[in-house]
Amino acid sequence: MNKILEIKDLSKNFGKIKAVQNLNLSIMPGQVFGILGPNGSGKTTTLGMILDVVTPSKGNFQWFDEMPNVEARKKIGAILENPCFLPYLTAVQNLKIVAHIKKSGENRIDTVLKQLSLIDRKNDKFKTYSLGMKQRLSIGAALLSDPPVLILDEPTNGLDPQGIAKVRKLIAEIAAQGKTIIMASHLLDEVQKVCTHFCVLKQGVKIHESAVSNALGEINLVEIDSNDNQTLKSKLKNFKGIESIKPNGNSLYLSLKDGFKAKDVNEFCFKQKIVLKKLLTHTNSLEKEFLKILKEHD
Amino acid sequence: MIRALKLEWLKVKNYRVFWILMVMYLVALLIIASAGGLFLEWLKYQGADFNGIDPTILPIFDFPDIWQNITYLSTFVKIFLAFIVIISVNNDQSYSISRQNIIDGFSKNEYIASKMMMIFAIALLSTLFVFLAGLINGSIYSHVWSISVIFDELEFLAVYLYEIIVYCSLAFLLSLIIKKAGFVIVALLLYTMMFEPIAVAIFENAPYFRDGIMPELAQYFPIKSLNNLIKVPFGRYLFIEIEDNVSIKAIAITFGWFVFYLSSIVYILYKRDLK
Repeated sequence: MNKILEIKDLSKNFGKIKAVQNLNLSIMPGQVFGILGPNGSGKTTTLGMILDVVTPSKGNFQWFDEMPNVEARKKIGAILENPCFLPYLTAVQNLKIVAHIKKSGENRIDTVLKQLSLIDRKNDKFKTYSLGMKQRLSIGAALLSDPPVLILDEPTNGLDPQGIAKVRKLIAEIAAQGKTIIMASHLLDEVQKVCTHFCVLKQGVKIHESAVSNALGEINLVEIDSNDNQTLKSKLKNFKGIESIKPNGNSLYLSLKDGFKAKDVNEFCFKQKIVLKKLLTHTNSLEKEFLKILKEHD
Repeated sequence: MIRALKLEWLKVKNYRVFWILMVMYLVALLIIASAGGLFLEWLKYQGADFNGIDPTILPIFDFPDIWQNITYLSTFVKIFLAFIVIISVNNDQSYSISRQNIIDGFSKNEYIASKMMMIFAIALLSTLFVFLAGLINGSIYSHVWSISVIFDELEFLAVYLYEIIVYCSLAFLLSLIIKKAGFVIVALLLYTMMFEPIAVAIFENAPYFRDGIMPELAQYFPIKSLNNLIKVPFGRYLFIEIEDNVSIKAIAITFGWFVFYLSSIVYILYKRDLK
């Protein structure tokens, strides 16, 4: 199997609104692929199209090289937006429906309910669940057939911090088993923590695609502060690792050359007999990168 | 097909509303199928006089006439079965269950098959009930009693089954178009019981219409053509000649409607973005 999913030129219009425009995307086995974008950028519409519940206006997609879509969907565990279960059935009864459709057998129902801490409530009706429990049940339904591919649309929506941490850990564990995950989110922190690759959608257009590690890259920005920043600044000009110095409020922002780290700055200042009050390495966050990408395409 | 039916079974198995409606329907069916005698008592009370004959001795439960009589009466409560279909389709839509079923790996055709199989199953159950009601009432009241007459004219049961399937398909289609269950129920009830019968009555009887093509046209209406499948049988007790065969023309017309309902359902589900 070469590709998990290949999307070619996919577009969707709702009347005059162009929800998705000419989207091309390839997803390889083992990737944890994040689809980022502001609200209304076409993330859910895209997932809806590749799951055959939204009819594309143009273009096509292919699962697992040439597999028919109906068969492919049985190998995909997917949640789309809100949890969709029959309110008058219990968790177990609802999951039996999913197991029946996926032809996966019912022996994993208890396993996933345990995994998502719902086992105590398994015989309670879905309508009695809180939002977080509903969300967890839908993740459980996606995991039920132990599928090689997972599609998660805002998986931590409505969860409490504990639940968010748990789901993130779960996603990381699943990814570690070599499974492919496609995840839509507007929580950048989430994508940064679990994704290997990501793309950014804006008004239905893909404006960026790369590996998460590339986007974060190495940035050598160090923030320092001492009792006498004037002296510090003049001394630092002799530091061979310096690229530029910018004052910012009370602190100095140093851009370092490749191969130099905060440790080297500290060592240098120590030798110059200057004591630093503050030494802070700035890592690039996906949030900054994301905002930068969006700004570039304004 | 069995797989499609099993999906529907899992959805309704523990759904109390479904079973309450089903029991209510079957009780209503049993009453109406057995109420012929009461109806005749009522006629007698009203002073009806069939050429000097007491209405209560009319052989309405005699084999094989009982089959036409009982299926004719039973079609009056078919709208309850349509309500069950409407509620089931509406649940799927309002809780996004149809969408989730497709995401999980059903095809749209399988989804349609699951609903149609449910319609078939409840129609079959209803037909079996009518058959049993016929056998029981017949065995109590019938003056004729032999295997050949009992199983004569069973085609009325087959047509009854067909009529319910077509009618419930209309309910299925309507609940896809009008997404609110309450609206569909009111719309279907008003159309079946009032709008179309009034339109048909006007077409057939109004002075300007009755001599033209209009009375013929009225026979093609969706409900009228269904009603034409099993004609009012009671005229025979007034020594009026009645249609005591299943109308082939009505079967053809209703089959046309059935094909139309099904293809519209397929068209809508394939065209629509599921929410």
